[in-house]
Amino acid sequence: MISRKCIVTVLAALLVLGSLPLAAQDDQINMTMWVRSIPFQTQALVDEWNANNDSQIELTVIPSAEFVTKMGAAIAAGEPPDIASIDLIYTPAFAAAGQLVDITEYVRELPYADSLTPAHMELGMYEGRNYAVPTGVDGSFIVYNIDLFEQAGLDPDNPPSTWDEMLDAMRAISALGDDIYGYWFSMNCAGCNAFTFLPFIWASGGDVLSDDYAEATITSDPVVRDALAFYNTIWEEGLVPEGASIDNGSNFVSAFTGGNIGMAGMGNFAIPLFTNDHPDLNFDVFHIPGKDGGAASFGGGDVIAIASGSAHVEEAWRFIEWTMSDEAQIEIYAANGQIPVRLELVDNPYFEGDERQMTAASALAVGFTPYTTVYNDLFNDPNGPWLEMLQVAILDGDIDGALELGQERFTQIMEG
Amino acid sequence: MRFVNSDPMQLTPFNLSWTQRRKLTGLLFVTPTVAFVTVFFIIPLIMTIFMSFHDWPLFGERAFTGLENYQELGKDRQYLKSLDFTFRYTALVTPPIFILGFILASLVRHNIRYIGIFRTIFFMPVVIGLGVSSLLWTWMLDDRIGVFNKILLDLNLVPKAQLFLGRPNTAMNVIILSVVWKTVGFTMILLLAGLQAIPDELYESAEVDGAGYFRKLIYITLPLMRRFIALALVLSVIGSVLSFDQFYIMTRGGPRNSTISIVFWIFNNSFTYFKMGYGAAMSIVLLGILVALTGLQLYVLRERE
Repeated sequence: MISRKCIVTVLAALLVLGSLPLAAQDDQINMTMWVRSIPFQTQALVDEWNANNDSQIELTVIPSAEFVTKMGAAIAAGEPPDIASIDLIYTPAFAAAGQLVDITEYVRELPYADSLTPAHMELGMYEGRNYAVPTGVDGSFIVYNIDLFEQAGLDPDNPPSTWDEMLDAMRAISALGDDIYGYWFSMNCAGCNAFTFLPFIWASGGDVLSDDYAEATITSDPVVRDALAFYNTIWEEGLVPEGASIDNGSNFVSAFTGGNIGMAGMGNFAIPLFTNDHPDLNFDVFHIPGKDGGAASFGGGDVIAIASGSAHVEEAWRFIEWTMSDEAQIEIYAANGQIPVRLELVDNPYFEGDERQMTAASALAVGFTPYTTVYNDLFNDPNGPWLEMLQVAILDGDIDGALELGQERFTQIMEG
Repeated sequence: MRFVNSDPMQLTPFNLSWTQRRKLTGLLFVTPTVAFVTVFFIIPLIMTIFMSFHDWPLFGERAFTGLENYQELGKDRQYLKSLDFTFRYTALVTPPIFILGFILASLVRHNIRYIGIFRTIFFMPVVIGLGVSSLLWTWMLDDRIGVFNKILLDLNLVPKAQLFLGRPNTAMNVIILSVVWKTVGFTMILLLAGLQAIPDELYESAEVDGAGYFRKLIYITLPLMRRFIALALVLSVIGSVLSFDQFYIMTRGGPRNSTISIVFWIFNNSFTYFKMGYGAAMSIVLLGILVALTGLQLYVLRERE
């Protein structure tokens, strides 16, 4: 007869056996890393690291629009990843909540600390301490199709430098055929339009937030209205495909590769995709212009940080430091067409002679990034005021209503 | 152990009387349910009420704020918009589910050969997850690859592909269509049970008295199905008021934030804006509304003496 004691013993033995493989793995450091679904070189970095190191990193890609929600839930559940590649604009919010490891001492020892992209370093700081370093550098600009410019009788060597010139170019290109359009925007993607539409406002000397980020200036700054009217004209005149109005960003990059779009807001991250996957695409880039000239760019991209509670801070930093090394920056970043996070490395053998890369990199010189802990709620949230304001103004044509709605909801969020 | 007393009433391990023993047995039977409800409903409910009186971020410091969260509700334009949207949606989606559910139940009521095949077909969408069915419909409604646009274009019913989910007026309608397809089978099963519980003799005698289809429907079928209708209605209305998946997946609340249901807004506040306390306050108010609404339905559909 099997006694109860016997069963208990067997069960206990099974439990011990079951946990043995786990115990054995403890000798080796296994780290988790999260990155949003932007085609940076993260996968290549992690593969290279895993191939050459005892410690292993497991990479998880999170849909961009859900990154903050998932990261927040993971932190609240006490299960954050060891390493997170975070959209730089979210860093202040996570640092302010005490969810990132203070890496000030590590950063201080980097010999090249001063040449790391300034916008990323600034966003990675909170109350004078460093919480993150740059890992993906990405400025916004306009990409244009040289073949379509030529067919429409436009000079591809002199791309538009004002809004009116852009509109004229779009009209000429749209006139080429039923299936050819002058422009593309993803009007159901909040983040895409923070990245590519805000610079139109900045380049004209305007902004939607006051300089101290204390209040919204949507109704008080006339440039905001002008910029919305500019995009509204593009929509009303049918210079973009109708599907652009509902695109949630899934076609943000791919729309332009079809070859039937004249111009589109874009970022550095797309250049390698275009050159590698679409060698026939004849394109060039220009800075996002202001109403009557000027230029601006959204200094976007990712920073890399260690989450509070990680058991492997030392090893995580070892990985992060390696991603910024000459080896990784040139042989993985530049070789794959990504802009290095250390400015002195922009002059590298891979970028030599590629005007497009140099223009794209120079966008960072006019790059700007808002610093606010409520960035996600204001701009990137698919249900936030930014996207709703754009849709009401641009697609519905109710610019007055949109401005008021935007001002009211921005204020509400900023007042907490 | 020695049993000196031969009285069977005394032959219990704890020396309990027969009545006590029966009570103990009853208690043991309900214990799992009580434990389940306590752990998964009562405790979370008390926690939610507790949280609703706090500024409770998803992570970081929390602080007691009293009724502040509840006062905020009145000023939250999207909250009021979401309440309005949710009840409009419920009012629009419930009648088709019931009418269609009743028609389907009537069709498959009699046990004739192969009827099981039809019952299965009608019920099948119910066992698909709502998330999966929402994705399925999103693809079918797509303007470039969707089957609906293909059919409409081939039949020359529309001049160009329609952006069903991109227009405020059509987004709600196509979501309702998808939800009716998804849930009508469940209502059908509930109503079918009700229909089959009505003895055929009642209809036969009514027919002898010369009653037609509608008289039988109004004087026999509907009154005798009252309880089943009440059950189906309460479940359906609660499901609609608490709907979230279809809006989160199919429209993400758009276009122009016109399809943000109340649960969607609670989710956003709690997990995207990290305002758990505020989300808790909204949940408590929603619970109150649902309790009142359910009470009202049960009162209207009560069995009259």
